[in-house]
Amino acid sequence: MLGKRKPIPKVPTQIAGLDEILEGGLPRGRTSLACGGPGSGKTVLGLEFLCRGAMAGDPGVFVTFEESAKAVRMNALSMGWDLAALEKAGKMAIVEARLSGDEVLSGDFDIQGLLTIVGGHATRIRARRVVMDALDVLLRVYGDVQRERSELSRLHDWLTDRGLTSVLSVKTYRGGDDGSQYEFLDFMADCVIRLDHRVLGQVATRRLRVIKYRGSGFGTNEYPYVIGERGIVLFPLTKAELTHKPLGAKVSSGLPGLDAMLDGGFRSASCILIAGSSGTGKTTLASAFARAASRRDEKVLYLSFEESEEAMIAGMLSAGIDLRPALRSQKLLIQTALPEAMGSDNHLVRALEAMDKFKPDHLILDAISACVRMGSEQAAFDYLMRLVGVIKERGITCILTNQSLAGGCEELSGIGFSSVVDAVIQLRFVDAGQEIGRQILVIKSRGSGHSNRREPFYITGQGIEFPNNLRPPSARAGQADPKDGAR
Amino acid sequence: MSKALQARPRAKKGQGGHYLLRLFMAGNGQNSQKALANLRSLCKEHLNGRCTIETVDVVKNFQAAVRDNILVTPALILVAPRPRVMVLGNLSDLPKVLTALRLSGSES
Repeated sequence: MLGKRKPIPKVPTQIAGLDEILEGGLPRGRTSLACGGPGSGKTVLGLEFLCRGAMAGDPGVFVTFEESAKAVRMNALSMGWDLAALEKAGKMAIVEARLSGDEVLSGDFDIQGLLTIVGGHATRIRARRVVMDALDVLLRVYGDVQRERSELSRLHDWLTDRGLTSVLSVKTYRGGDDGSQYEFLDFMADCVIRLDHRVLGQVATRRLRVIKYRGSGFGTNEYPYVIGERGIVLFPLTKAELTHKPLGAKVSSGLPGLDAMLDGGFRSASCILIAGSSGTGKTTLASAFARAASRRDEKVLYLSFEESEEAMIAGMLSAGIDLRPALRSQKLLIQTALPEAMGSDNHLVRALEAMDKFKPDHLILDAISACVRMGSEQAAFDYLMRLVGVIKERGITCILTNQSLAGGCEELSGIGFSSVVDAVIQLRFVDAGQEIGRQILVIKSRGSGHSNRREPFYITGQGIEFPNNLRPPSARAGQADPKDGAR
Repeated sequence: MSKALQARPRAKKGQGGHYLLRLFMAGNGQNSQKALANLRSLCKEHLNGRCTIETVDVVKNFQAAVRDNILVTPALILVAPRPRVMVLGNLSDLPKVLTALRLSGSES
Protein backbone atom coordinates (compact mmCIF):
# COMPACT_ATOMS: atom_id res chain seq x y z
CA MET A 1 0.00 0.00 0.00
CA LEU A 2 1.19 3.43 -0.85
CA GLY A 3 1.15 6.00 1.89
CA LYS A 4 -1.04 9.01 1.51
CA ARG A 5 0.78 11.61 -0.58
CA LYS A 6 1.86 14.56 1.49
CA PRO A 7 0.51 17.67 -0.20
CA ILE A 8 3.19 20.15 -1.24
CA PRO A 9 2.85 23.70 0.10
CA LYS A 10 1.13 26.08 -2.29
CA VAL A 11 0.55 29.77 -2.75
CA PRO A 12 -2.98 30.65 -3.90
CA THR A 13 -2.95 32.86 -6.99
CA GLN A 14 -6.44 34.18 -6.25
CA ILE A 15 -6.97 34.36 -10.00
CA ALA A 16 -10.61 33.43 -10.59
CA GLY A 17 -10.77 29.71 -11.26
CA LEU A 18 -7.02 29.06 -11.48
CA ASP A 19 -6.54 27.77 -7.96
CA GLU A 20 -9.19 25.12 -8.58
CA ILE A 21 -7.27 23.91 -11.61
CA LEU A 22 -3.97 24.01 -9.70
CA GLU A 23 -5.62 22.36 -6.70
CA GLY A 24 -4.72 25.19 -4.39
CA GLY A 25 -2.21 27.40 -6.18
CA LEU A 26 1.37 27.56 -7.40
CA PRO A 27 4.12 25.56 -5.67
CA ARG A 28 5.53 27.59 -2.78
CA GLY A 29 9.17 28.56 -3.06
CA ARG A 30 9.44 27.04 -6.52
CA THR A 31 9.54 28.13 -10.10
CA SER A 32 6.53 28.04 -12.39
CA LEU A 33 6.53 28.72 -16.09
CA ALA A 34 3.80 30.50 -18.06
CA CYS A 35 4.26 30.20 -21.79
CA GLY A 36 2.14 31.31 -24.69
CA GLY A 37 2.06 33.29 -27.89
CA PRO A 38 1.93 37.05 -28.17
CA GLY A 39 -1.24 38.45 -26.63
CA SER A 40 -2.11 35.27 -24.76
CA GLY A 41 -2.15 37.01 -21.39
CA LYS A 42 1.14 35.89 -19.83
CA THR A 43 1.91 39.35 -18.52
CA VAL A 44 -1.57 39.73 -17.06
CA LEU A 45 -1.30 36.35 -15.36
CA GLY A 46 2.02 37.29 -13.75
CA LEU A 47 0.85 40.76 -12.82
CA GLU A 48 -2.37 39.49 -11.31
CA PHE A 49 -0.50 36.90 -9.26
CA LEU A 50 1.75 39.64 -7.86
CA CYS A 51 -0.98 42.24 -7.37
CA ARG A 52 -3.38 39.95 -5.58
CA GLY A 53 -0.52 38.85 -3.36
CA ALA A 54 0.68 42.40 -2.70
CA MET A 55 -2.83 43.60 -1.93
CA ALA A 56 -3.15 40.78 0.59
CA GLY A 57 0.16 41.76 2.17
CA ASP A 58 2.53 39.42 0.35
CA PRO A 59 5.09 41.63 -1.45
CA GLY A 60 6.56 40.80 -4.83
CA VAL A 61 9.06 41.89 -7.48
CA PHE A 62 8.04 42.25 -11.10
CA VAL A 63 10.90 42.06 -13.60
CA THR A 64 10.04 43.24 -17.07
CA PHE A 65 12.41 42.40 -19.91
CA GLU A 66 10.30 43.78 -22.69
CA GLU A 67 7.96 46.56 -21.67
CA SER A 68 8.91 49.72 -19.81
CA ALA A 69 7.91 49.99 -16.17
CA LYS A 70 5.62 52.83 -17.18
CA ALA A 71 3.79 50.62 -19.71
CA VAL A 72 3.44 47.87 -17.12
CA ARG A 73 1.92 50.32 -14.65
CA MET A 74 -0.53 51.56 -17.27
CA ASN A 75 -1.57 48.06 -18.29
CA ALA A 76 -2.14 47.14 -14.67
CA LEU A 77 -4.18 50.26 -14.05
CA SER A 78 -6.56 49.26 -16.84
CA MET A 79 -7.36 46.16 -14.73
CA GLY A 80 -7.82 48.30 -11.65
CA TRP A 81 -4.46 47.51 -10.05
CA ASP A 82 -2.56 50.54 -8.85
CA LEU A 83 1.06 49.44 -8.97
CA ALA A 84 2.40 52.88 -8.13
CA ALA A 85 0.47 52.80 -4.87
CA LEU A 86 1.73 49.30 -4.11
CA GLU A 87 5.29 50.39 -4.86
CA LYS A 88 4.90 53.35 -2.57
CA ALA A 89 3.56 51.11 0.16
CA GLY A 90 6.62 48.90 -0.23
CA LYS A 91 4.52 45.96 -1.42
CA MET A 92 5.89 45.83 -4.92
CA ALA A 93 9.01 46.63 -6.90
CA ILE A 94 9.25 46.84 -10.66
CA VAL A 95 12.61 46.13 -12.23
CA GLU A 96 12.98 47.32 -15.78
CA ALA A 97 15.55 44.87 -17.07
CA ARG A 98 15.82 45.96 -20.64
CA LEU A 99 18.99 45.89 -22.62
CA SER A 100 19.05 48.81 -25.00
CA GLY A 101 20.16 46.59 -27.87
CA ASP A 102 23.24 48.62 -28.79
CA GLU A 103 25.49 46.98 -26.23
CA VAL A 104 28.59 45.35 -27.66
CA LEU A 105 29.17 41.73 -26.71
CA SER A 106 32.70 40.64 -26.09
CA GLY A 107 33.46 37.43 -24.29
CA ASP A 108 31.65 35.49 -21.64
CA PHE A 109 29.21 37.03 -19.18
CA ASP A 110 26.38 36.02 -16.84
CA ILE A 111 23.24 37.45 -15.26
CA GLN A 112 24.74 38.12 -11.84
CA GLY A 113 23.94 41.80 -12.27
CA LEU A 114 20.26 41.08 -12.76
CA LEU A 115 20.17 38.71 -9.82
CA THR A 116 21.82 41.35 -7.67
CA ILE A 117 19.26 43.95 -8.63
CA VAL A 118 16.31 41.62 -8.10
CA GLY A 119 17.81 40.35 -4.87
CA GLY A 120 18.36 43.87 -3.61
CA HIS A 121 14.75 44.83 -4.22
CA ALA A 122 13.48 41.55 -2.81
CA THR A 123 15.40 42.14 0.40
CA ARG A 124 14.25 45.73 0.61
CA ILE A 125 10.52 44.92 0.44
CA ARG A 126 10.78 41.41 1.90
CA ALA A 127 9.37 39.94 -1.30
CA ARG A 128 8.18 36.33 -1.37
CA ARG A 129 7.06 36.36 -4.98
CA VAL A 130 8.96 37.14 -8.15
CA VAL A 131 7.57 37.40 -11.67
CA MET A 132 9.94 37.60 -14.61
CA ASP A 133 8.03 38.69 -17.66
CA ALA A 134 9.25 37.86 -21.17
CA LEU A 135 12.37 36.01 -20.09
CA ASP A 136 12.88 34.99 -23.72
CA VAL A 137 13.98 38.55 -24.48
CA LEU A 138 16.88 38.17 -22.06
CA LEU A 139 17.76 34.74 -23.37
CA ARG A 140 18.04 36.10 -26.87
CA VAL A 141 21.22 37.93 -25.87
CA TYR A 142 22.98 34.59 -25.54
CA GLY A 143 22.05 33.20 -28.91
CA ASP A 144 23.47 29.89 -27.77
CA VAL A 145 21.43 27.03 -26.33
CA GLN A 146 24.20 25.84 -24.05
CA ARG A 147 24.69 29.22 -22.43
CA GLU A 148 20.97 29.82 -22.23
CA ARG A 149 20.67 26.63 -20.25
CA SER A 150 23.47 27.37 -17.85
CA GLU A 151 22.04 30.82 -17.17
CA LEU A 152 18.55 29.41 -16.68
CA SER A 153 19.94 26.90 -14.21
CA ARG A 154 21.70 29.70 -12.39
CA LEU A 155 18.48 31.71 -12.29
CA HIS A 156 16.45 28.73 -11.15
CA ASP A 157 18.91 27.83 -8.39
CA TRP A 158 19.09 31.42 -7.25
CA LEU A 159 15.29 31.72 -7.00
CA THR A 160 14.93 28.37 -5.28
CA ASP A 161 17.75 29.07 -2.81
CA ARG A 162 15.94 32.17 -1.69
CA GLY A 163 12.62 30.35 -1.38
CA LEU A 164 10.95 32.71 -3.81
CA THR A 165 7.69 31.62 -5.39
CA SER A 166 8.28 32.66 -8.95
CA VAL A 167 6.55 32.79 -12.30
CA LEU A 168 8.67 33.05 -15.42
CA SER A 169 6.87 33.94 -18.58
CA VAL A 170 8.18 33.01 -21.99
CA LYS A 171 6.85 33.83 -25.41
CA THR A 172 6.35 30.86 -27.66
CA TYR A 173 5.34 30.83 -31.25
CA ARG A 174 2.78 28.69 -32.92
CA GLY A 175 3.78 26.17 -35.50
CA GLY A 176 7.11 24.43 -35.37
CA ASP A 177 7.45 22.46 -32.21
CA ASP A 178 5.01 24.17 -29.89
CA GLY A 179 7.28 25.89 -27.44
CA SER A 180 9.96 23.25 -27.35
CA GLN A 181 12.54 25.93 -28.05
CA TYR A 182 12.40 26.31 -24.30
CA GLU A 183 12.16 22.61 -23.59
CA PHE A 184 14.74 23.01 -20.87
CA LEU A 185 12.54 25.54 -19.07
CA ASP A 186 9.66 23.08 -19.17
CA PHE A 187 11.88 20.53 -17.58
CA MET A 188 13.31 22.90 -15.00
CA ALA A 189 10.08 24.45 -13.77
CA ASP A 190 7.92 22.65 -11.22
CA CYS A 191 4.69 23.84 -12.76
CA VAL A 192 4.12 24.64 -16.42
CA ILE A 193 1.07 26.56 -17.61
CA ARG A 194 0.42 27.00 -21.29
CA LEU A 195 -1.76 29.84 -22.53
CA ASP A 196 -3.24 29.68 -25.97
CA HIS A 197 -4.99 32.31 -28.00
CA ARG A 198 -6.71 30.90 -31.04
CA VAL A 199 -9.52 31.63 -33.41
CA LEU A 200 -12.45 29.23 -33.48
CA GLY A 201 -15.07 29.89 -36.11
CA GLN A 202 -13.91 33.49 -36.52
CA VAL A 203 -14.15 34.21 -32.82
CA ALA A 204 -11.03 34.61 -30.73
CA THR A 205 -10.93 32.26 -27.78
CA ARG A 206 -8.40 31.70 -25.05
CA ARG A 207 -7.47 28.38 -23.51
CA LEU A 208 -5.28 27.54 -20.54
CA ARG A 209 -3.73 24.17 -19.88
CA VAL A 210 -1.50 22.95 -17.09
CA ILE A 211 1.18 20.78 -18.69
CA LYS A 212 2.85 19.57 -15.54
CA TYR A 213 2.87 20.04 -11.80
CA ARG A 214 5.55 18.22 -9.83
CA GLY A 215 4.21 16.59 -6.71
CA SER A 216 0.63 17.65 -7.24
CA GLY A 217 -2.49 16.74 -9.10
CA PHE A 218 -4.12 19.31 -11.37
CA GLY A 219 -7.04 19.79 -13.73
CA THR A 220 -5.83 18.31 -16.98
CA ASN A 221 -8.29 19.82 -19.42
CA GLU A 222 -8.04 22.89 -21.54
CA TYR A 223 -9.88 25.65 -19.74
CA PRO A 224 -11.34 28.67 -21.48
CA TYR A 225 -10.49 32.02 -19.97
CA VAL A 226 -11.14 35.64 -20.66
CA ILE A 227 -9.15 38.70 -19.77
CA GLY A 228 -11.89 40.76 -18.24
CA GLU A 229 -12.00 44.15 -16.62
CA ARG A 230 -10.61 42.75 -13.40
CA GLY A 231 -8.02 40.34 -14.68
CA ILE A 232 -8.15 36.75 -15.80
CA VAL A 233 -11.31 34.70 -15.36
CA LEU A 234 -11.18 30.97 -15.89
CA PHE A 235 -13.98 28.48 -16.08
CA PRO A 236 -12.89 25.24 -14.55
CA LEU A 237 -15.32 22.44 -15.15
CA THR A 238 -13.43 20.02 -12.98
CA LYS A 239 -16.01 19.05 -10.41
CA ALA A 240 -19.20 20.41 -11.84
CA GLU A 241 -21.00 17.08 -11.83
CA LEU A 242 -20.30 16.40 -8.18
CA THR A 243 -21.58 19.65 -6.83
CA HIS A 244 -24.89 19.83 -8.65
CA LYS A 245 -27.73 20.48 -6.26
CA PRO A 246 -30.44 17.82 -6.22
CA LEU A 247 -33.72 18.64 -7.90
CA GLY A 248 -35.99 20.63 -5.64
CA ALA A 249 -39.70 20.93 -4.98
CA LYS A 250 -42.23 21.46 -7.74
CA VAL A 251 -42.74 24.94 -9.05
CA SER A 252 -45.69 25.90 -11.19
CA SER A 253 -45.00 26.44 -14.87
CA GLY A 254 -47.52 29.26 -14.71
CA LEU A 255 -49.94 27.22 -16.81
CA PRO A 256 -52.44 24.96 -14.98
CA GLY A 257 -52.72 22.76 -18.05
CA LEU A 258 -48.97 22.19 -18.30
CA ASP A 259 -48.73 21.71 -14.54
CA ALA A 260 -51.27 18.93 -14.91
CA MET A 261 -49.18 17.27 -17.65
CA LEU A 262 -46.08 17.58 -15.45
CA ASP A 263 -47.75 16.14 -12.41
CA GLY A 264 -47.63 19.46 -10.58
CA GLY A 265 -45.05 21.52 -12.43
CA PHE A 266 -41.32 21.75 -13.05
CA ARG A 267 -38.87 20.55 -10.45
CA SER A 268 -36.97 23.57 -9.14
CA ALA A 269 -33.19 23.46 -9.75
CA SER A 270 -33.82 21.34 -12.83
CA CYS A 271 -32.94 22.08 -16.39
CA ILE A 272 -35.91 22.20 -18.73
CA LEU A 273 -35.69 22.27 -22.49
CA ILE A 274 -38.54 23.68 -24.56
CA ALA A 275 -38.06 22.68 -28.18
CA GLY A 276 -40.08 23.51 -31.23
CA SER A 277 -39.89 25.14 -34.60
CA SER A 278 -40.19 28.87 -35.08
CA GLY A 279 -43.54 30.27 -33.97
CA THR A 280 -44.71 27.32 -31.92
CA GLY A 281 -44.74 29.38 -28.71
CA LYS A 282 -41.47 28.66 -26.92
CA THR A 283 -40.90 32.24 -25.80
CA THR A 284 -44.55 32.53 -24.80
CA LEU A 285 -44.30 29.41 -22.65
CA ALA A 286 -41.08 30.66 -21.02
CA SER A 287 -42.60 34.09 -20.43
CA ALA A 288 -45.66 32.59 -18.79
CA PHE A 289 -43.31 30.87 -16.37
CA ALA A 290 -41.39 34.11 -15.76
CA ARG A 291 -44.58 36.01 -15.03
CA ALA A 292 -45.88 33.35 -12.63
CA ALA A 293 -42.54 33.15 -10.82
CA SER A 294 -42.34 36.92 -10.39
CA ARG A 295 -45.84 36.89 -8.91
CA ARG A 296 -44.59 34.37 -6.35
CA ASP A 297 -41.77 36.87 -5.55
CA GLU A 298 -39.16 34.68 -7.21
CA LYS A 299 -36.50 36.27 -9.39
CA VAL A 300 -36.01 35.41 -13.05
CA LEU A 301 -33.04 36.25 -15.25
CA TYR A 302 -34.02 36.13 -18.92
CA LEU A 303 -31.14 35.87 -21.40
CA SER A 304 -32.49 36.68 -24.83
CA PHE A 305 -30.42 36.08 -27.93
CA GLU A 306 -33.36 36.39 -30.29
CA GLU A 307 -34.90 39.82 -29.88
CA SER A 308 -34.59 43.11 -28.06
CA GLU A 309 -36.25 43.67 -24.69
CA GLU A 310 -38.82 46.04 -26.22
CA ALA A 311 -39.70 43.63 -29.02
CA MET A 312 -40.03 40.77 -26.58
CA ILE A 313 -42.27 42.69 -24.18
CA ALA A 314 -44.48 43.89 -27.05
CA GLY A 315 -44.68 40.40 -28.49
CA MET A 316 -45.69 38.89 -25.17
CA LEU A 317 -48.21 41.64 -24.57
CA SER A 318 -50.01 40.65 -27.75
CA ALA A 319 -50.11 37.08 -26.41
CA GLY A 320 -51.71 38.32 -23.19
CA ILE A 321 -48.61 38.07 -21.03
CA ASP A 322 -47.65 41.40 -19.49
CA LEU A 323 -44.07 41.27 -18.24
CA ARG A 324 -43.89 44.95 -17.31
CA PRO A 325 -45.06 44.58 -13.68
CA ALA A 326 -42.37 41.93 -13.15
CA LEU A 327 -39.73 44.26 -14.60
CA ARG A 328 -40.97 47.15 -12.48
CA SER A 329 -40.82 45.11 -9.29
CA GLN A 330 -37.33 43.97 -10.32
CA LYS A 331 -38.30 40.34 -10.15
CA LEU A 332 -37.45 39.99 -13.81
CA LEU A 333 -34.21 41.02 -15.47
CA ILE A 334 -33.94 40.74 -19.23
CA GLN A 335 -30.42 40.67 -20.65
CA THR A 336 -30.23 40.79 -24.42
CA ALA A 337 -27.26 40.34 -26.70
CA LEU A 338 -26.52 39.51 -30.27
CA PRO A 339 -24.73 36.17 -30.22
CA GLU A 340 -22.23 37.48 -32.77
CA ALA A 341 -21.43 40.51 -30.65
CA MET A 342 -18.71 38.72 -28.67
CA GLY A 343 -17.07 35.39 -28.11
CA SER A 344 -18.79 32.68 -26.10
CA ASP A 345 -16.38 33.20 -23.20
CA ASN A 346 -17.41 36.84 -22.93
CA HIS A 347 -21.08 35.85 -23.13
CA LEU A 348 -20.45 33.47 -20.26
CA VAL A 349 -18.74 36.12 -18.13
CA ARG A 350 -21.62 38.49 -18.82
CA ALA A 351 -24.22 35.93 -17.78
CA LEU A 352 -22.26 34.93 -14.67
CA GLU A 353 -21.85 38.56 -13.65
CA ALA A 354 -25.58 39.12 -14.04
CA MET A 355 -26.22 36.00 -11.95
CA ASP A 356 -23.85 37.18 -9.22
CA LYS A 357 -25.50 40.56 -9.07
CA PHE A 358 -29.15 39.65 -9.55
CA LYS A 359 -29.17 36.30 -7.74
CA PRO A 360 -32.05 34.78 -9.72
CA ASP A 361 -34.10 31.78 -8.60
CA HIS A 362 -34.70 30.87 -12.22
CA LEU A 363 -32.92 31.49 -15.49
CA ILE A 364 -34.33 31.42 -19.00
CA LEU A 365 -32.09 31.17 -22.02
CA ASP A 366 -33.82 31.97 -25.29
CA ALA A 367 -32.61 30.29 -27.44
CA ILE A 368 -29.75 27.81 -27.34
CA SER A 369 -30.02 27.40 -31.11
CA ALA A 370 -28.79 30.99 -31.44
CA CYS A 371 -25.66 30.22 -29.42
CA VAL A 372 -23.97 28.61 -32.40
CA ARG A 373 -23.66 32.12 -33.77
CA MET A 374 -21.20 32.87 -30.97
CA GLY A 375 -18.63 31.20 -33.16
CA SER A 376 -18.96 27.48 -33.58
CA GLU A 377 -20.82 24.39 -32.38
CA GLN A 378 -17.98 23.78 -29.96
CA ALA A 379 -18.08 27.33 -28.61
CA ALA A 380 -21.86 27.07 -28.12
CA PHE A 381 -21.51 23.71 -26.45
CA ASP A 382 -18.81 25.00 -24.07
CA TYR A 383 -20.88 28.05 -23.25
CA LEU A 384 -23.99 26.02 -22.46
CA MET A 385 -22.21 23.28 -20.53
CA ARG A 386 -20.45 25.79 -18.34
CA LEU A 387 -23.46 28.00 -17.85
CA VAL A 388 -25.71 25.07 -16.99
CA GLY A 389 -22.95 23.72 -14.73
CA VAL A 390 -22.94 26.90 -12.68
CA ILE A 391 -26.74 27.07 -12.70
CA LYS A 392 -26.94 23.54 -11.33
CA GLU A 393 -24.30 24.21 -8.70
CA ARG A 394 -26.37 27.10 -7.45
CA GLY A 395 -29.68 25.25 -7.53
CA ILE A 396 -31.22 27.60 -10.06
CA THR A 397 -34.06 26.41 -12.28
CA CYS A 398 -33.09 26.72 -15.88
CA ILE A 399 -35.35 26.90 -18.91
CA LEU A 400 -33.71 26.61 -22.29
CA THR A 401 -35.55 27.10 -25.51
CA ASN A 402 -34.36 25.52 -28.71
CA GLN A 403 -35.52 26.17 -32.19
CA SER A 404 -35.44 22.69 -33.60
CA LEU A 405 -37.19 21.71 -36.75
CA ALA A 406 -38.96 18.41 -36.43
CA GLY A 407 -36.53 15.57 -35.98
CA GLY A 408 -35.30 12.88 -33.69
CA CYS A 409 -34.88 13.18 -30.00
CA GLU A 410 -31.16 13.79 -30.39
CA GLU A 411 -31.67 16.95 -32.39
CA LEU A 412 -34.38 17.97 -30.01
CA SER A 413 -31.99 18.04 -27.11
CA GLY A 414 -29.99 20.65 -28.87
CA ILE A 415 -26.31 20.39 -29.54
CA GLY A 416 -25.68 17.10 -27.85
CA PHE A 417 -25.97 17.87 -24.19
CA SER A 418 -29.08 15.92 -23.38
CA SER A 419 -27.52 14.47 -20.23
CA VAL A 420 -27.77 17.73 -18.31
CA VAL A 421 -31.34 18.30 -19.42
CA ASP A 422 -33.85 17.02 -16.84
CA ALA A 423 -37.08 17.71 -18.70
CA VAL A 424 -37.94 18.08 -22.37
CA ILE A 425 -41.10 19.70 -23.68
CA GLN A 426 -41.82 19.65 -27.37
CA LEU A 427 -44.08 22.11 -29.16
CA ARG A 428 -45.23 21.57 -32.71
CA PHE A 429 -47.66 22.67 -35.36
CA VAL A 430 -50.33 20.30 -36.56
CA ASP A 431 -52.34 20.62 -39.69
CA ALA A 432 -55.93 20.69 -38.48
CA GLY A 433 -57.72 20.91 -41.81
CA GLN A 434 -58.75 24.55 -42.19
CA GLU A 435 -56.21 25.82 -39.73
CA ILE A 436 -52.88 25.20 -38.11
CA GLY A 437 -53.05 24.09 -34.51
CA ARG A 438 -50.39 23.67 -31.84
CA GLN A 439 -49.57 20.66 -29.71
CA ILE A 440 -47.47 20.23 -26.62
CA LEU A 441 -45.80 17.02 -25.42
CA VAL A 442 -43.71 16.23 -22.37
CA ILE A 443 -40.99 13.92 -23.67
CA LYS A 444 -39.13 13.46 -20.44
CA SER A 445 -39.25 14.74 -16.89
CA ARG A 446 -36.65 13.38 -14.49
CA GLY A 447 -37.82 12.67 -10.98
CA SER A 448 -41.43 13.22 -11.80
CA GLY A 449 -44.37 11.58 -13.44
CA HIS A 450 -45.69 13.16 -16.58
CA SER A 451 -48.35 12.81 -19.22
CA ASN A 452 -47.47 10.95 -22.39
CA ARG A 453 -50.13 12.59 -24.48
CA ARG A 454 -49.84 15.31 -27.02
CA GLU A 455 -52.21 18.02 -25.89
CA PRO A 456 -53.51 20.80 -28.09
CA PHE A 457 -53.09 24.39 -26.91
CA TYR A 458 -53.88 27.86 -28.17
CA ILE A 459 -52.05 31.12 -27.89
CA THR A 460 -54.78 33.71 -27.45
CA GLY A 461 -54.83 37.38 -26.57
CA GLN A 462 -55.30 36.22 -22.99
CA GLY A 463 -52.35 33.84 -22.83
CA ILE A 464 -51.92 30.13 -23.42
CA GLU A 465 -55.04 28.00 -23.13
CA PHE A 466 -55.53 24.29 -23.01
CA PRO A 467 -58.92 23.30 -24.45
CA ASN A 468 -58.92 19.85 -22.84
CA ASN A 469 -59.89 20.10 -19.23
CA LEU A 470 -56.56 18.96 -17.78
CA ARG A 471 -56.91 18.33 -14.11
CA PRO A 472 -54.19 19.17 -11.66
CA PRO A 473 -52.59 16.10 -9.99
CA SER A 474 -54.25 16.72 -6.67
CA ALA A 475 -57.60 16.04 -8.28
CA ARG A 476 -56.41 12.88 -10.00
CA ALA A 477 -56.91 9.51 -8.35
CA GLY A 478 -54.12 7.02 -7.64
CA GLN A 479 -51.29 9.42 -8.47
CA ALA A 480 -49.99 10.13 -4.99
CA ASP A 481 -46.44 8.89 -5.52
CA PRO A 482 -44.60 10.63 -8.32
CA LYS A 483 -42.29 7.62 -8.65
CA ASP A 484 -45.20 5.67 -10.09
CA GLY A 485 -45.54 8.14 -12.89
CA ALA A 486 -44.95 7.22 -16.48
CA ARG A 487 -41.38 7.33 -17.61
CA MET B 1 37.24 78.64 -41.04
CA SER B 2 35.54 76.10 -38.87
CA LYS B 3 38.04 73.46 -39.85
CA ALA B 4 40.66 74.54 -37.37
CA LEU B 5 38.11 74.98 -34.62
CA GLN B 6 36.75 71.47 -35.08
CA ALA B 7 40.12 69.90 -35.53
CA ARG B 8 41.39 70.88 -32.14
CA PRO B 9 38.93 69.10 -29.87
CA ARG B 10 39.00 66.08 -32.12
CA ALA B 11 42.73 65.88 -31.87
CA LYS B 12 42.43 66.25 -28.13
CA LYS B 13 40.01 63.34 -27.95
CA GLY B 14 42.21 61.10 -30.02
CA GLN B 15 45.48 61.78 -28.33
CA GLY B 16 45.25 63.68 -25.11
CA GLY B 17 41.62 62.87 -23.98
CA HIS B 18 41.22 61.10 -20.72
CA TYR B 19 39.14 57.96 -20.53
CA LEU B 20 36.88 57.10 -17.65
CA LEU B 21 35.95 53.42 -17.71
CA ARG B 22 33.60 51.84 -15.21
CA LEU B 23 33.78 48.09 -14.92
CA PHE B 24 30.98 46.21 -13.21
CA MET B 25 31.91 42.81 -11.84
CA ALA B 26 30.26 40.22 -9.68
CA GLY B 27 32.49 39.14 -6.84
CA ASN B 28 35.84 37.64 -7.67
CA GLY B 29 34.80 35.14 -10.32
CA GLN B 30 36.80 34.03 -13.30
CA ASN B 31 35.06 36.36 -15.72
CA SER B 32 35.57 39.31 -13.40
CA GLN B 33 39.29 38.62 -13.17
CA LYS B 34 39.57 38.18 -16.92
CA ALA B 35 37.69 41.38 -17.64
CA LEU B 36 39.83 43.42 -15.29
CA ALA B 37 43.08 41.99 -16.68
CA ASN B 38 41.92 42.63 -20.25
CA LEU B 39 40.91 46.16 -19.43
CA ARG B 40 44.20 46.96 -17.71
CA SER B 41 46.25 45.74 -20.64
CA LEU B 42 44.05 47.68 -23.05
CA CYS B 43 44.61 50.84 -21.01
CA LYS B 44 48.30 50.37 -21.04
CA GLU B 45 48.76 49.41 -24.66
CA HIS B 46 46.15 51.51 -26.42
CA LEU B 47 45.64 54.51 -24.17
CA ASN B 48 49.13 54.97 -22.79
CA GLY B 49 47.65 55.03 -19.35
CA ARG B 50 45.35 57.97 -20.15
CA CYS B 51 42.51 56.31 -18.35
CA THR B 52 40.91 55.80 -15.01
CA ILE B 53 39.37 52.42 -14.27
CA GLU B 54 36.56 52.42 -11.76
CA THR B 55 35.48 48.96 -10.59
CA VAL B 56 32.11 48.22 -9.04
CA ASP B 57 31.24 44.93 -7.39
CA VAL B 58 27.48 44.59 -7.93
CA VAL B 59 27.23 41.99 -5.21
CA LYS B 60 28.39 44.59 -2.70
CA ASN B 61 26.80 47.61 -4.32
CA PHE B 62 23.38 46.80 -5.68
CA GLN B 63 22.33 50.44 -5.89
CA ALA B 64 25.12 51.09 -8.38
CA ALA B 65 23.86 48.19 -10.50
CA VAL B 66 20.35 49.66 -10.37
CA ARG B 67 21.61 53.11 -11.33
CA ASP B 68 23.37 51.90 -14.46
CA ASN B 69 20.89 49.09 -15.18
CA ILE B 70 23.54 46.38 -15.09
CA LEU B 71 21.80 43.13 -15.97
CA VAL B 72 24.78 41.06 -16.93
CA THR B 73 28.33 41.02 -15.60
CA PRO B 74 31.05 41.77 -16.41
CA ALA B 75 29.91 44.98 -18.06
CA LEU B 76 32.04 47.92 -19.08
CA ILE B 77 30.73 51.44 -19.44
CA LEU B 78 32.70 54.11 -21.22
CA VAL B 79 31.67 57.07 -19.11
CA ALA B 80 33.90 59.64 -20.76
CA PRO B 81 34.48 60.80 -23.38
CA ARG B 82 30.87 60.90 -24.51
CA PRO B 83 28.84 59.26 -25.97
CA ARG B 84 28.49 56.54 -23.45
CA VAL B 85 29.04 52.95 -24.59
CA MET B 86 28.37 49.63 -22.92
CA VAL B 87 30.33 46.46 -23.58
CA LEU B 88 29.15 43.17 -22.09
CA GLY B 89 31.39 40.24 -21.37
CA ASN B 90 34.94 39.58 -20.16
CA LEU B 91 36.42 41.78 -22.94
CA SER B 92 38.31 38.87 -24.48
CA ASP B 93 37.57 39.99 -28.03
CA LEU B 94 40.00 42.89 -28.16
CA PRO B 95 39.30 44.24 -31.69
CA LYS B 96 35.60 44.36 -30.86
CA VAL B 97 36.24 46.23 -27.63
CA LEU B 98 38.54 48.73 -29.35
CA THR B 99 35.94 49.40 -32.02
CA ALA B 100 33.29 49.90 -29.37
CA LEU B 101 35.51 52.35 -27.49
CA ARG B 102 36.27 54.20 -30.73
CA LEU B 103 39.93 53.32 -30.43
CA SER B 104 40.40 51.12 -33.47
CA GLY B 105 41.61 54.08 -35.53
CA SER B 106 44.33 55.10 -33.12
CA GLU B 107 45.57 51.56 -32.94
CA SER B 108 48.86 50.50 -34.55
